[in-house]
Order: sequence, then C-alpha cells, then structure tokens
Amino acid sequence: MRWLVVLALVLAPAVAAEPIALHVIVNAKNPAKSVDKREVAEAFLKKRTRWDDDSAILPVDLNQKSSVRERFSRDLLGRDVASVRRYWAQIVFSGRGVAPPELGSEADVVKYVAAHAGAIGYVASGTDLTGVKVVEVE
Amino acid sequence: MSRCWGPVAMLAMLGAVAHADDDDNTAVQLHGFVSQGGLLTSANNYLAHTEHGSLEFTEAGINFTKPIDERLSVGMQLFARDLGPEGTYSAKFDWLQIDYRWKDWLGFRAGRVKVPFGLYNDFADIDAAQPVVLLPQSIYPETNRNFLLAQTGVEAYGYHSFDDLGALDYRVYTGSLYLTIPDAQGIHFSDIAVPWLVGGRVFYETPLEGLRGGLSVLAGEIDADYSYPSMPALGQLAVTLVQTNFLGSLEYAKDGILLQAEYLWSHSKTTTIAPVWTKAEGMYGLAGYRWRPWLQQTLYYSLTYPDLRQTSGRDHHQHDAAMSFRFDVGPHWLLKLEGHFLRGTAVLDPTLNDNTPRDQLQNQWWLLTAKTTVYF
Repeated sequence: MRWLVVLALVLAPAVAAEPIALHVIVNAKNPAKSVDKREVAEAFLKKRTRWDDDSAILPVDLNQKSSVRERFSRDLLGRDVASVRRYWAQIVFSGRGVAPPELGSEADVVKYVAAHAGAIGYVASGTDLTGVKVVEVE
Repeated sequence: MSRCWGPVAMLAMLGAVAHADDDDNTAVQLHGFVSQGGLLTSANNYLAHTEHGSLEFTEAGINFTKPIDERLSVGMQLFARDLGPEGTYSAKFDWLQIDYRWKDWLGFRAGRVKVPFGLYNDFADIDAAQPVVLLPQSIYPETNRNFLLAQTGVEAYGYHSFDDLGALDYRVYTGSLYLTIPDAQGIHFSDIAVPWLVGGRVFYETPLEGLRGGLSVLAGEIDADYSYPSMPALGQLAVTLVQTNFLGSLEYAKDGILLQAEYLWSHSKTTTIAPVWTKAEGMYGLAGYRWRPWLQQTLYYSLTYPDLRQTSGRDHHQHDAAMSFRFDVGPHWLLKLEGHFLRGTAVLDPTLNDNTPRDQLQNQWWLLTAKTTVYF
C-alpha cells in the first residue's frame, strides 16, 4: 500500500497557490486601451503579428520557472507552460518561427516593453510600471 | 541530400555570433537536440534488429533562424539519424528556407519546406514536440520520414481570426521530393523522379478554447525505372505511382488534457504494364493527461489497412495499442517510456526478418521503447 500513497502524493494536484493579479502591459506610446483575451493569446503564440496600425507586435515572456508566467499561460493562453514550450518546440524545429524572448525578471519585462514600441508583456500587479501602460483584457 | 558537414561548421559559427547581436528581434536564433532511444520486441524485428534489443535509434538536429526584418527571415535545419537500416547518421537539410510573412493572413516560404499533413507530420522528427516516442504508425510511419517530411518548392500560408467565431490556419504548397528507394525483394530502382507534388492543410480553431479540426490533402507522382539484377534479360522496366492522401484531424488540448483522432484515406494508382489501384486506410485515437508539469501519460490505439481489397489475415492489418509516459526531467531534458501491444504484421519489413513472409511472422507481439532527448 505504501507505493499507492507515494503515487497519490506525486499525482495529487498542487495546493492552490495564492492567486496572482496580473497586468498586461504595452509601450506607453501604444494607442490601445484594451485588448481581447483571444488577441493576447494569438499575439503570444505569434499567430497575430500586427497591431491594428500594421506595426509589428513584439511579445515578451518571463522565464519558464516564473509563477507569474504560469498564471498568465493558464489564464490567457489556455494551456500550461509545459504545453506552451511544446508548442514552441513544434514551431521552432519545423521552421515556422521563433519564440518570444524570455526575460529573467518583471523589471526586465517592463524595461523591454518601454524600449520597444510594439512590445506587449505581462507582470504581477505592484511592479513598477514606469515607461509602460496597462491595457485592459476583455 | 548527401553528407554536408560544411553547413554544420557554418551553423557552429553562427552559434558563436548569435549572442553578439543585441537586438532580440533580429538576433540569430540557434536551437538543437540530441536523442537516444532503445527498442525491444517480444518477436519480429521492427524498424531495427529489435528481437534482442537495439540501440540503433539516434537522432540529432541543429537549426538557425535569422529574422532579417519584421517580415523576412531565413533559416535551415540539419538533421541526422540512425534507425536500423534507415539513416546511418548522414546529415541532411531537414528544412532550408526563405520566409516572407507579408500579412498574418498571407505569407510565403520557398526552399526545402516542411510538409504540413495532419497534426504531426511537419515536426514528426522532433521528439521534444511530441507526447510519445513512436507516433501512430497508421498515419506517421517511421519508414516515410526520410522523404515525406519536407518538399522542395514553395508554400503559401496564413492565419485569419474571425474573433468570436474562431480562426483558420491554412497552408498550401507545391514542389518536388528528392528520394531514393532502397532495393527490395530483389528489385533495383533507378532514375527516380517526382515530377509533381501538391497539397494543403487547413485547421479551423473553434470558439471553444483548445478544440480544432482540420483536413489535409497530399497528392503526387513518382516515376522510376526498375530491374531484376538476378534476371538481366528483362532489362529496365518503368513504373509510375500516382497517390492522393486525405487526412481528417480533430484535437482538443486544454489544461493538461490532450484528445486527438485522425483518419487517413489513401488512393494510389501504380502503372507498370497495366494499372493497379490500391486504397489504404489508417486511423487512431489518442488520449493524454499531464498529471504534473513534468509527467504526461498518453494512450493511443492505431489501426492500419495497407490495402482495403483485403483486410483479413495478419499481414493485411496492423493494430497497435500503446501507453506512454513522458518525464520532463528538466527544462531541456526529457525521458519517455512506452509499451505497445501489436496484432498483425503489415508494418513489418521481411528483409529485417530473414526474408520471412509477413503472413508467417508472429501475429501478436510486444514492443518496449525508451528514449531520452536533450534540446535547447
């Protein structure tokens, strides 16, 4: 029976963590005030590559171990980070594109979005948002 | 597609300069993988000499992509593998292309371009991109990988969102294949040509998140000469094969759940002295669940009928029930363990089995396989 207990512990869902409040952010000069949830998912999976004014969308991710990325992936992309990584393996190794850059911290994401006019990223609420603006996700 | 270690050196140099470019959006991206697997069957040699276990199951690939600007990029991937008589580590261009994405709804690729066919064909040689070691062989046979994964020609592609009504993801292409056909059953093939190849794939992403369905079509012609070295008096004979494949696909992938089903219908006309028509069928159903971020379990059942004129008899069908575990040991390292119970001998190669006819090979057999991959 001991192995059954071990198996149950291994497979049991992780204890629900405190929900993380997210902000989706764009460059301060970006005229968008809100974005559709589906558009965000399409942008981060690079299925949609252009803003309405035909300028390039530049998504930027957090690193794979980030709990903020896990929350973003589940809530806005509809899949966990492991599934997203597999999606990008399919894209990258079949010659259909390259994954968004993965940055090490939310401060780096803010800095990147502030420096690139077409950028879109996400950070936890409470992050210093100097140089970027928050867009509402509908 | 012969050995080409020059490009390997070129890729290595590109890797060295990849980090020298400060702009993330136009920097060279370098990726690669190395896989090593093992195969063991309870009876019958399958893909390699597996009755006593085989480690002839190795793959390696390296690619780079260089975005020139927002719309234009170039890239290539070198791939080498060893799988029994297939591969023998010869490095080949897996893909080599120019990509111009004019709009989201229309882009073009030219060069050696991966063939989109169903859910898996264009990345069937990438272990890290799949939940299982062996994809369902009814649709994605390992023996086709040397020539059916990429074509040399052009492709138009696009993605169009209908907002709340879903989206269409589509690709159409035309070109040619460069292939060799190994001698088999005393027949030698020469002057092999593919004068035309055309196909396309469309997926409809439904408004229900994670649910999509699609249709793929692939048609082409192969011309070749053949001869019997043991009977030189017969001289050179000509053969033409025209084949059309239709593949329907359905997938639901969300929150760790993966459900897939595909159905293949194939029609071919082989002309030597008189034409012979053959219809084939393949299908599978797959269910997977990710128990933990590092553990995914997958089950599938795959069924093949290579010739619908006759489906009874062990050599005319292949049933395959598989269970697989994928362990993502780390962000760049994975391990898969997989067991198959197979009934039928239709996918077996007599030349790997002492030229025993398929109808005399073991009808029910097991296959165990393990594979590990490091990728970046």
